[in-house]
Amino acid sequence: MAPHPGIDTDHIQEKARKDLLDLLEGVRGKKNLVIEKSLAGPIGIFVKFSTLQDHGVDKVFFLENDNVDASQKNVIFLARGENANQPMAVAEQIKRLQKQSSIEHEFSVVWVPRRTLVCNKILEEAGVLGDVGVEELPLHFIPLEQDVLSLCLDDSFKDLYLRKDPTSIFLAAQALMPIQQAHGLFPRIIGKGDNAHRLMELLFRMRSEAAADESTTSRFGLMPSASIESLIIIDREIDFATVLLTQLTYQGLIDEMFGIQDNQAEIDSSIVGSAPGPQQSARSPAAPAQQGLKRKIQLDSSDKLFEQLRDTNGAIVDGLLNKVARRLQSDMESRHAAKTTSEIRDFVNKLPGYQTEQQSLKTHIGLTEEIMKNTQGDIFRRTLEVQQNLYDGSDPSYQHDTIEELISRDIPLTSILRLLCLESCISGGLRAKDLDNFKRQILHAYGYQHLLTLDALEKIGLLSSRASANVLFNPIGMGGGAAEATKTNYNYLRRVLKLVVDEINEQNPNDIAYVYSGYAPLSVRLVQSVIQKQHLLTITKGVSAASNGVSSAAPGWQGFDDALRNIKGETFHKVQKGDEQAVKARHMLAGTGGKVKTVVVMFLGGITFTEIAALRFLAKMEEGRRKILICTTDILSGDRMVEAAIERRDFGRG
Amino acid sequence: MSNPTADWERVGDRFYRKIKLYDAVFDQDLELENYVIAGAPCAGAIALYRDEAKLHTYRGSQTSKSGIDVYSCAGKLIRRLNWDKGSIRGLGWSEDEKLLVITEDGVVRCYYDLQGDFTQFSLGNGAEEHGVKGCRFWFTGFVAILSNNHLIAVSHYNEPRPKLLAIPPEGIVHSWTVIPPAYTLSRSVEVLLAIDQTIYVVDSSEAEDRVLPNGPFKYVSVSPNGLYVTLYTEDGKVWVITSDFQNKVGEYESKAKTIPKDVQWCGNDSVLLAWEDEVHMIGPKGALLKYYYDGWVHLLADIDGVRIITNDVCEFLQKVHSATEDIFKIGSTSPASVLLDAVDQLDKKSPKADENIQLIRPNLPDAVAACVQAAGQEYSTHWQTQLLKAASFGKSVLDLYSSDDFVDMCEKLRVLNAMRDYRIGLPLSFEQYERLTAEKLIQRLINRREYLLAIRLSDYLRLPTNRIYVHWASQKVRDSTADEEAICEKVVNKLANKRGISFEHIARAAYDEGRSHLATQLLNHESRAGKQVPLLLSMSEDELALDKAIASGDTDLVFFVLLHLKKTLPLASFFRLLTSRPLATALVESSARDQDQSLLKDLYYQDDRRLDGANLLFSEALAQTAPQTKVDKLKLASKLIADNTKDPTASLYHKSFQEAQALIRLQTSLDNDLHGSDKVYTGLSLNATLHRLILSAHSKRATKAASEFRVPEKTLAWIRLRALVAKRDWAELEDIAAKNKRSSIGWEPYFNEILGAGNTKLAGGVFVAKCTGLTVRERSDMWVKCGMITRAGEELLKARDAEALEDLRARASGGGVGEIDRMIAQLRPKR
Repeated sequence: MAPHPGIDTDHIQEKARKDLLDLLEGVRGKKNLVIEKSLAGPIGIFVKFSTLQDHGVDKVFFLENDNVDASQKNVIFLARGENANQPMAVAEQIKRLQKQSSIEHEFSVVWVPRRTLVCNKILEEAGVLGDVGVEELPLHFIPLEQDVLSLCLDDSFKDLYLRKDPTSIFLAAQALMPIQQAHGLFPRIIGKGDNAHRLMELLFRMRSEAAADESTTSRFGLMPSASIESLIIIDREIDFATVLLTQLTYQGLIDEMFGIQDNQAEIDSSIVGSAPGPQQSARSPAAPAQQGLKRKIQLDSSDKLFEQLRDTNGAIVDGLLNKVARRLQSDMESRHAAKTTSEIRDFVNKLPGYQTEQQSLKTHIGLTEEIMKNTQGDIFRRTLEVQQNLYDGSDPSYQHDTIEELISRDIPLTSILRLLCLESCISGGLRAKDLDNFKRQILHAYGYQHLLTLDALEKIGLLSSRASANVLFNPIGMGGGAAEATKTNYNYLRRVLKLVVDEINEQNPNDIAYVYSGYAPLSVRLVQSVIQKQHLLTITKGVSAASNGVSSAAPGWQGFDDALRNIKGETFHKVQKGDEQAVKARHMLAGTGGKVKTVVVMFLGGITFTEIAALRFLAKMEEGRRKILICTTDILSGDRMVEAAIERRDFGRG
Repeated sequence: MSNPTADWERVGDRFYRKIKLYDAVFDQDLELENYVIAGAPCAGAIALYRDEAKLHTYRGSQTSKSGIDVYSCAGKLIRRLNWDKGSIRGLGWSEDEKLLVITEDGVVRCYYDLQGDFTQFSLGNGAEEHGVKGCRFWFTGFVAILSNNHLIAVSHYNEPRPKLLAIPPEGIVHSWTVIPPAYTLSRSVEVLLAIDQTIYVVDSSEAEDRVLPNGPFKYVSVSPNGLYVTLYTEDGKVWVITSDFQNKVGEYESKAKTIPKDVQWCGNDSVLLAWEDEVHMIGPKGALLKYYYDGWVHLLADIDGVRIITNDVCEFLQKVHSATEDIFKIGSTSPASVLLDAVDQLDKKSPKADENIQLIRPNLPDAVAACVQAAGQEYSTHWQTQLLKAASFGKSVLDLYSSDDFVDMCEKLRVLNAMRDYRIGLPLSFEQYERLTAEKLIQRLINRREYLLAIRLSDYLRLPTNRIYVHWASQKVRDSTADEEAICEKVVNKLANKRGISFEHIARAAYDEGRSHLATQLLNHESRAGKQVPLLLSMSEDELALDKAIASGDTDLVFFVLLHLKKTLPLASFFRLLTSRPLATALVESSARDQDQSLLKDLYYQDDRRLDGANLLFSEALAQTAPQTKVDKLKLASKLIADNTKDPTASLYHKSFQEAQALIRLQTSLDNDLHGSDKVYTGLSLNATLHRLILSAHSKRATKAASEFRVPEKTLAWIRLRALVAKRDWAELEDIAAKNKRSSIGWEPYFNEILGAGNTKLAGGVFVAKCTGLTVRERSDMWVKCGMITRAGEELLKARDAEALEDLRARASGGGVGEIDRMIAQLRPKR
């Protein structure tokens, strides 16, 4: 993907790296680093372990393991300070070391992304604040790719929807502010969902706070950006169903089967072969001794082959791999054709490239084989069938036998919960009797502790009984004057936004629905309804938009108001105006040339790889007109979503 | 206009000048000799207090009131600070014009704004017992000496940390001084102590004797650049040595019979000795210059000279800058001097002006630069103008000249002249202004409440003005006697549309003054919640603080308020605050879940959230280790929701709690019966328990348990199937097939599972035939999966499906092909 001229993600990465290393340099001499587990992965994305060693880090410990030793005088803690747990753990460990250790330690604590009042208070109450140097590392967005920025907040989904703790909204706002500071105000902020609305309000609030801040003497906040077109905020809550479906792109499938964390997947080496060489190990500080049979695979655009494959539908990956294999073979064969010395030298120069390519080809063939083994299995097939019937809108009760059978067959709980939640989301809840029945079966099959799991799912809103649903879903949708919906009405949207697309060409996709082999993610359809109005109208209504009276330049949600009224939560569209004179002055200077502008899409509560693929598909369609920068609180999948609710303890203890 | 050299005096080969800054400085009645006096660096304010050790004439009750008076250099009283803290042992200034007052018992007061506001801290380290004897100051800190010679250093005044230096030897300290940290090798302050015949150098780690033979030294003084030290011996000799005590730079015999009252450096290359009304300047190489005064003289050393204060005058004694000297020295022919003359000629319309220019043509750029530089040194506006005119004339002749320096100098001179006005009384020299910087100068004006000038100056220098407005407003809310509404309105109106105004700062000033209503009102105009909340909390506006924190969206702030409130409020009122605020409740819940479950229990009880309460107890049951305590907790949980069994969720809970207890009991008894109380079954789910029972051939127990728990028939069938397959109990499976005509889950799953386990013989041999509900082709496919091509063919033959047989033939191999061919042949219509 081409780099963004507007927002340079490399720059963000470089700055994060520099900030961290400067902080490490700030402590003289060798030091032990104690790092919060959930930060280790994200930091591993932009700093290698060896770099940390170059900057004096001797050993790395996990905060959660509580095992930092007294081997170095200097100890640096690196943790998030947003809730009380980490500060308390830090305080405990400082006290423990002070008590146990014979040498006098120099402690520093680096809070990410900011020093909070709460961690001050906790350290103070623990009586250690005076003994530690406190710093902060303003680490907000971490670029996972050039077009994807993530806050890497593992718990953001759970916090937002289960615990109703809006910390991640605030952190998102804090992360978006520097973008506004660097590139100007988002000219428009468009969004859907209650949390999205709160984020928008926070952005406005922070703007006025920044103006009131004594230290800011810059003229920040006067001008809307020239390089950014708009900010679109999607609240995950408006579309749970998409996440619950099985992801069918290559990257999505890898995520479904092996799990991708911070651009890495841990995969059994019997599938992908053992590590090719020492240069790939110790990629991150989070990589402790390589676990016997597991191998960490880096999955990002540094692997060119993967970059080609990741967003394609999983069904065609083997074909593509075949092609690559054949090309690679013929490239390798070209050595026989090489006659002159210069030709041979040419070949030898390319050899390392061929070798890495071959290595990555081997890895991906291994992965694909494993994935195919799975997708051809009976359980996968039946799960997919249930999903498809559900989003097609057939009577969900026909699926109940299959789901019951799957429960009896003891397939992973997450899969069962995903199916039930999907049914609940799409059809506005299960009938009370069915729900009760399923609950009992789940408790029998997976243990009574899941009473808590089911309760949590209901609190999130993933599972509900139809009696308690305020709106009985009808495919006609809600009328014009109705208040905002309390649930997303998929039955209505299926038709209006054409969520189900029957003719899908997986080889040469013509619609985002290819990512789920026939289902277009609602969340991305919404983005389309802002930036691709004409196209979307043609798809949904089959008429040219011109006759419809909605120009493609219409701002915000215009043209799709009815659809939005049937989606949960607030709908908004705000224009950020700057100082008028300044705007005029810039018009005079720069004119309104047809520059390619960036659309920033922020997913609050997480985004799936499939949705990223769909957004990239949009970006490709829009190439030359606009670019899309994807921001999110975290990468999400159906499993991670229901796992937020799953109770992990059981009655077997003791 | 007087000649600029009129106040010059030659000292050795250099010139010094004494500029009269102001006259009629102090009231003639003020007996300066009875006062201790300290001046802030860079022409700052002067603090005076009456020396208690001296007698003074009684002048009625008015003057007997003790206090510290702060004057400007022009003698304008800025503020009288009342003093009632006991005897003062140290009075000094920091670079940013903070007045430090140290009492005998080691209390340090830091007056930070010239207006009587102060912070206070104690020296500790034994200062209270032994008493402070004296203090020496540098720009950012000071050292205090105690009567037992211990030294305590304070290196900065924000969060000051008094530190005891190394312990010097006992003995009478004849004199002492400090070398500021900036000029020492160790980068921490060093103290020079004259004890006995010698000097000790004390830093934080050691006290070192420098072994000087010529003591005792009555005065020790360090030059402003920290390179040289002056020592004055008892017998009237002045020694100048380098501050590392390696080289002697000069020696001078003062021949004075009385010991001077003060010894100070004037710049970095001459030393002043002061007696009551006489000042001697000792220049390099022992040159001497004497000044006589009518009254008592005080010396206030600065970075580039000395201010001399008497009742009548405030004078500044400094070395003449070389650029100035070059221009004005009698008989000077330097290009700059010629250029200055040219301007004179130009005024007289004399052609000599051009001659002059031609004369110095090659050196013109330097001459212009020198004139600009010299202008900065002048105090008289006349000569400033002349020199700048000369520079301007000179640069007009030059083809290429960057006017930046010129413009810059004009700007600075304008500032300096405004400051030197007697009404402001900040007679800064050019060097002092450069060192002080414009920002700090503006801060000085703010502290003097010269708001208008400060704003003008900021606008002129393009600096932010927000701090000035905030200070003005804070002052207003403190001092104004108008009613609070009016003050608030006035302040808000004045500050509307100004950027970067901290209303929190103003509100805090109002609150400190006891005007909490006004403070609350002002705080409403503060847009940054992070600033509002802590103040609101300290004002005990709990509810408001919580609401503001929630509105800010910053969970940290909400959390902070909640922590505070939980500590200060009774639990019931704390919960009452939560009830109408879902966000706060959510935060309390989510943090209590990790840390304080009992709080959570109380919260649920208070809000009558039975189900959540039951969940909590259930979760506690999970945490228990012994089966009995688990059961007990579950019973408690049941009891909590026993009342409302009509609610469907509650009834499910109720039932599940019962079942969970039953399961625990069942598993405990199973473990006891079958495994000698090893925990094999404990912790398994119901289905897993059944699976395990069947796997371990306790099928009867499984059936019994299944009926107790009313496991659906289908589920049990599946569990049995999977367990038997896992056990490879083919006989039992065959038995099931033989005994049952139909199965609740159909026979297909049997086929699939058995096939999946690899037993094609059983799968094909027994179960395909039982799948009667399937089509012929499906069944034939099943045969094929088992590798039984012939059977598949027979199936199709029975149905006379020739087409499928053809397909089958294509997939067959070896002997099978022949068989299939035979069957196809059978189906062919015989002709």
